[in-house]
Amino acid sequence: MLSDLDFDSYWAAVDAELAAVPARPVLDLVPERTTDESTSFTVRLTSIGPYRIFGHLSIPTGDGPFPALLHTPRYGSVNHIPHPNDRSRYVVFAVMHRGQRRADEAFSAAYPGLLTTGIDDPASYNYRGIAADCLRAAEFMMSLSEVDPARIAVSGDDLAVLTAARRSGFTAVRVSELLFYRAMEARLTSSLYPLEELNDHLRAGSSAEIVGNTVAYFDPFRHASAVAGRTLVAVDDLEWSAPLIQAFPAAGVYKLTHLDGTDSEFLDAWLAELSGVSPMTRFLVG
Amino acid sequence: MRKPEDATVEIELPADFDDFWAAGLAECALYPLDPVFTEMPSLSTDKVIVYDLHYTSYGGLRIAGWYTVPRDLTPPYPALVTIPGYISEPTIPKEWAELGYAALAVAPRGKLRSNSVFNPGYPGLLTHNIVDHNTYGYRGFYLDVVRAVDVLLDRPDVDNARIGLQGSSQGGGLGITTAALRPDAIACVAAGAPYLCGIMTAPTLTRSYPYEEINEYLRLHPKDVDRVRESVAYYDGLNFAPKVQAPTLLYLGLEDDVCPPETGFALHRALTCETTLHTFPHCAHHAGLPGVLRIVEDFLAEHLVPGAVNHAF
Repeated sequence: MLSDLDFDSYWAAVDAELAAVPARPVLDLVPERTTDESTSFTVRLTSIGPYRIFGHLSIPTGDGPFPALLHTPRYGSVNHIPHPNDRSRYVVFAVMHRGQRRADEAFSAAYPGLLTTGIDDPASYNYRGIAADCLRAAEFMMSLSEVDPARIAVSGDDLAVLTAARRSGFTAVRVSELLFYRAMEARLTSSLYPLEELNDHLRAGSSAEIVGNTVAYFDPFRHASAVAGRTLVAVDDLEWSAPLIQAFPAAGVYKLTHLDGTDSEFLDAWLAELSGVSPMTRFLVG
Repeated sequence: MRKPEDATVEIELPADFDDFWAAGLAECALYPLDPVFTEMPSLSTDKVIVYDLHYTSYGGLRIAGWYTVPRDLTPPYPALVTIPGYISEPTIPKEWAELGYAALAVAPRGKLRSNSVFNPGYPGLLTHNIVDHNTYGYRGFYLDVVRAVDVLLDRPDVDNARIGLQGSSQGGGLGITTAALRPDAIACVAAGAPYLCGIMTAPTLTRSYPYEEINEYLRLHPKDVDRVRESVAYYDGLNFAPKVQAPTLLYLGLEDDVCPPETGFALHRALTCETTLHTFPHCAHHAGLPGVLRIVEDFLAEHLVPGAVNHAF
């Protein structure tokens, strides 16, 4: 069982290590992605390691400051470029963590494999660096003069929760597709990836105790109580997710319908309302 | 208000379309497949044996895949090629082996395990050399999936009369192209939310990626629009569709912002084979997931008759 003391000291060490590394951002204009609605850039930043990570940034056209939206990376080699709907309404920053495409010069993540890379030791677990990459992205986005500090959101999976917990200033947190929540139980329910990676790793000789201890540092349940912003958690199974929902100070829950057009519009509208912008649908009706 | 089922999706058929793809297949045949299967005990389970796979494809490139078979069933097995989406990496298809199939999850060139020579990046594949159909990035990519079928045809543990194709989005689109290029080898196709159909029309109906890559390309290179149109016509699923002979399951989300339903309906009209169409109101690119997987599973079982009966989904 991971103690609170170990949990806190682990993450304090990540913060300290990150604070010692200058971000040194470099922005390059992307002409083909720049329109009347927004201006787009690629961004390179230094995270712990040191490691250069990558991101897509866009700034809406007009007089700011604007609401801001940080997209934490999904589990996979590629993250899409932020949608034009988001680029027109928010300062939006989508970060690629170490090992993902565009941030893979020194390390290329394996799929399957990333989830268990270094997992037998929390200090060397690759997700420690990945979490730091998200924290660095948050710091960068919050430093932009175009960002309205009263309207800063983060959207994503467990990494969004972790980022909102460890960096103050997020006023809205939109969460879906959790990976680390009760992962050691969830891995037993099917042979589907990515959680099957945990089973593969255990078959290869590791112990459930060691793996369970490491993933506990990343379980959103452990981070939820430190999230200050309004939170929406989109879930499939209300009963399974209830302990997590209750752990947030200010969380609502959205039960996914699996009509993904409907789900997408609800999640967009929730954040739009909190951010003071208009909701938009990705399915063009005109 | 959009009426996707009534929309016209125009596509020109290049005069040398058949010759172009015959030449690609002929070039593939110059290279021995040289498949190498390596059993992976740590990835295998009490139900499934997992193999790492590499084989040779168009241009002599080595292509990776995962191959799984049911541990407790006696071959020959019915077989599936599972085809990945645009931004996804193929996972190890244990769930299909648990249902009684030999399953080959292919990683066409550019995917992580097959990108040592060709690596257009993501975003990037859709517009890689898009002005020249002879060097368009998707040429080898399409043929890599065809060669995966050839790998299965070469396996003594696979029943050659029971090979199917399964995928969604890019996997759905390439299910159609592969079935068209190997009409004698494919017993059925399950294609969800098919991508790469109506390639020039789709970017006018959506602002979502990956089709937005074409809008961005043309924003920077507006004079290339005719060359792009000419090039992608060789790769458009609508031009492959009449050549598909295998029974085909199509499923579409009627609010799909990634692969507009207009293009899915156009594909349905272009198919002349036995076709089953399922449409899902209020669904976007998931096109009925997760419930539609039961329909897919039943469709494949009807045509490929696996030995196991338990539902994985």
